[in-house]
Amino acid sequence: MHLDLNHLQTAILFALVSSVILGVVTKRTDRERLQYGIYCFGWFMAALFGIGWFMHFLHG
Amino acid sequence: MPANTSTAGNAVPARSPWLTVALAWLIPGSGHFLLGRRGRAIIFFVTVAVAFLIGVLMRGPLFQPSGSGEVLSRLIQYGGFIGNLACGLFYFLAVWLGYGPPDQAGHDPDYGSKFLVAAGLLNILGMVDAYEIATKQKD
Repeated sequence: MHLDLNHLQTAILFALVSSVILGVVTKRTDRERLQYGIYCFGWFMAALFGIGWFMHFLHG
Repeated sequence: MPANTSTAGNAVPARSPWLTVALAWLIPGSGHFLLGRRGRAIIFFVTVAVAFLIGVLMRGPLFQPSGSGEVLSRLIQYGGFIGNLACGLFYFLAVWLGYGPPDQAGHDPDYGSKFLVAAGLLNILGMVDAYEIATKQKD
C-alpha cells in the first residue's frame, strides 16, 4: 500500500496532527485545548495559503 | 498565580517522573495513561501512530546516524535519527520488520521522512507534558 498525496494534502495532514498535540499539551481544560487546537490549525492554514499565494505572486 | 494548582479530581498518582518519561517515549501516550490521563493518552498514541503511519505509507526513509560528510549533513542525519528514535516502539517495530526504503528522489519519500521525524517530535512534546504532570507542574 502506498500513499500518494500532493503538497496541499500533506500540509493539511501535518497541520492536523501538529494542532492536535499542541492543543493537548498547552492548555488546562478540555474546552481550552479544543479551542487552541482549532486556533493552531487555523493559523497553519492561513500560513499555508498565505505563503502559497505569496510565492505565486513572487514568481509572477 | 502558580501553575501547579490541582484539584482533587485530577490527583496525580505518585510515579517516578523519569519512569513516566521513559514509558512515554517507548509507547506514545503510556506516560499519560500511567498518570491517569487516559483521554490524553489515547490522543497521543493515535496521533503519533497516524503521523508515523503516514510517513511509512509515503515510503519515507529513516535517518541513519552517519559520522562522515559535512557538518550540516551530519547535523541533519543525527537530528533526523533522534526524531525517528523518539517514536519509540513504532521506530523499533519498523526496523524489526525490515522497513527501510531507499532514500530516493520524489515528493512522497521526502514528505514521508518529514512525517516520520515529526511523529517523534510530537512524542517528545508528549514526554515533556507527562513529565510536567508527574512533577505536578500542571494538571
